[in-house]
Amino acid sequence: MATYDSLFSSLGLEQWCSEGKSSGPMSMADLLNKNKGESAEPASIWELPFPSMDALNESCAAFPQSRELTKGLEQGFLAIKDSLSLVLDPLTQPLSWFLDGALYAMLNTPWWIVIPLLLAVVFVVTKSWKLMLFVGGSIVLLAFIDHYDYAMQTLAIIFVCAFLCVLLGVPIGIAMARSNSLQRMIIPVLDMLQTLPPFVYLIPLIFLFSVTESKLYGIAIILYAIVPVIRLTNLGIRLVDKDVIEAADAFGMTPRQKLYKVQIPLALPNIMAGVNQTIMMSLAMVVIASLVSAPGLGVLVLRGIRNLELGVGLVSGLGIVILAVILDRVTKASLARINVSQKQ
Amino acid sequence: MAKDIKISIRNLYKIFGPTPDVALEYVRKGMGKADLLEQQRHVLGLRDINVDMHDGEITVIMGLSGSGKSTLIRHLNRLIDPTAGEIRVDGEDIMSYTEEQLRKLRRERMSMVFQKFALLPHKTVLENAGMAKDIRGYTTSDFEADARKWLARVGLEGNEYQYPHQLSGGMQQRVGIARALVSDAPIMLMDEAFSALDPLIRSDMQDLLLELQEELKKTIVFITHDLDEALKLADHLVILKDGEVVQQGDPQEILLNPGDPYIVDFISDINRARVLRVRSVMSPPDDGDSEFAGDISEKDNLESVLLKSEGDMSLNFRVVRDDQHVGTLHMKDLARALVPTAASADRSKTAA
Repeated sequence: MATYDSLFSSLGLEQWCSEGKSSGPMSMADLLNKNKGESAEPASIWELPFPSMDALNESCAAFPQSRELTKGLEQGFLAIKDSLSLVLDPLTQPLSWFLDGALYAMLNTPWWIVIPLLLAVVFVVTKSWKLMLFVGGSIVLLAFIDHYDYAMQTLAIIFVCAFLCVLLGVPIGIAMARSNSLQRMIIPVLDMLQTLPPFVYLIPLIFLFSVTESKLYGIAIILYAIVPVIRLTNLGIRLVDKDVIEAADAFGMTPRQKLYKVQIPLALPNIMAGVNQTIMMSLAMVVIASLVSAPGLGVLVLRGIRNLELGVGLVSGLGIVILAVILDRVTKASLARINVSQKQ
Repeated sequence: MAKDIKISIRNLYKIFGPTPDVALEYVRKGMGKADLLEQQRHVLGLRDINVDMHDGEITVIMGLSGSGKSTLIRHLNRLIDPTAGEIRVDGEDIMSYTEEQLRKLRRERMSMVFQKFALLPHKTVLENAGMAKDIRGYTTSDFEADARKWLARVGLEGNEYQYPHQLSGGMQQRVGIARALVSDAPIMLMDEAFSALDPLIRSDMQDLLLELQEELKKTIVFITHDLDEALKLADHLVILKDGEVVQQGDPQEILLNPGDPYIVDFISDINRARVLRVRSVMSPPDDGDSEFAGDISEKDNLESVLLKSEGDMSLNFRVVRDDQHVGTLHMKDLARALVPTAASADRSKTAA
């Protein structure tokens, strides 16, 4: 019989083992063994299997197989899913409204309003004519090859998600900077969010929310992109010059005054670096999120992969690169402006 | 000088470590700094400090790095809380203050100047100077006139709209001083305020401080590791070593009668003629037959008298205050006062 029979018999568990016999469906390996019609020979030490769940199951039918683990997780998740979505659904509903609203506004405002508006924003943030011309040229190029709508959809999603990331991430970062125990709790979560492959977020989200709702991809993007803004806000506030903080204390600032008059302004370069990273990561995720119905250039990339339409894939990839360059340059230029006014 | 005591420190102890109260008992029983660190893993910051700081005087606290002088000054506005002891400002025990009272003390009665300037890099010079007023809720237009006045007083007219990083170190510290002055606080704490500046600028800043003090009569607590600076500024000098007061008093007195070999080492290489003043060396007026080679002020330093006498040790000078004869300076006494302390200590030993 199997390798670990003696283990169970020595523990006196044979009774318990035989009770669970022939409960699960037969595995492929069992079937093959049966066909060959040979029983396991007393194996040499070289072939000793690791006492894994499956190996132990061979010796004792009552012992769970490892597939029970994945099955259990799935069932557990499905069991709490209904009550979880009862809470999360209304909580995240505004996200759907924001995303739908932004998409609607971007697509239904005529291009001759949207493009000048975008350029005006770029100029206000960067104060650079050169950069504005570059952005204008890029958007006109995208529009000329009929990718305007897709690009605007992608931009709209990024704007909404990055804005929410900053709105949530900066206060979380500040709270982390103020409390070491909170920092110890949050850092593992941030590490996990950053290292989980982006596709993995999508699986539970699909179960929780309907694929037709825009908040599904909104949440996926926010979870992925919020990490840098939290990390760099925390870092920025912790790195504020201790001497300046001491001066603030010595002149009698309240904690609130210290936060608004000293810590946030002095941490701003780091916070803005975090915002830049957050925007770039939203762009990366918005492409992947097209798997779960996020509109925009990602849909075209997906079409290129699925239908092996090389040209479509390449052109939409180029569009994404152009958007990435625009977003990066604009946020870096505004970051540089802040840095200049803060030189020590 | 019977001036009021503005700040009084009594039996102040500070011990750094996880259980300072336990360590305090050992320190009170006489354990030294090195033993405390080795056996108890606690750092002795300050031991039994008793200092009175008088209204309108400059009290200089001098010591080498690690002597606890920066720790001591931070107790005065409770940036650091003591392990034991009492700190009184205007007779009130600030250890009993609530957070609100403490904030009021820091806002209205004390200002501070820092070694590394600690200006807000994102604010203009004008806004930095008005920081104390801004914290109290005034708007820029409220304090602008005041801030401009003090900035002009410290020599920064025309720099109001520049940012700190556009200024040199000396100019940045002038902003730091203006910031302390704009707050109108009667007490000014200066933590190695001039140590980061180069010697020439440092000397300028010392002159500026003395000039301002002449006019404002604030209570200034000044921390330094530089003996020349301490002697130039101090009305009352406190010398710290390893967290303990080694000697305190009139700086001239300390110079002429050092009470500790540590201080003797300290003062051995300063220019005594430049630091000692006539009043510390002169004899009472004797109305005798002595002839006077000239009139000098009691505030003159010995160097200027030496210059006047052209090195003739037989001369006598009449010391005059407001046209009144208050004393006589014999050049022989002057020469004796200039003998380095190490040598005079040896001499008194052989005499005994």
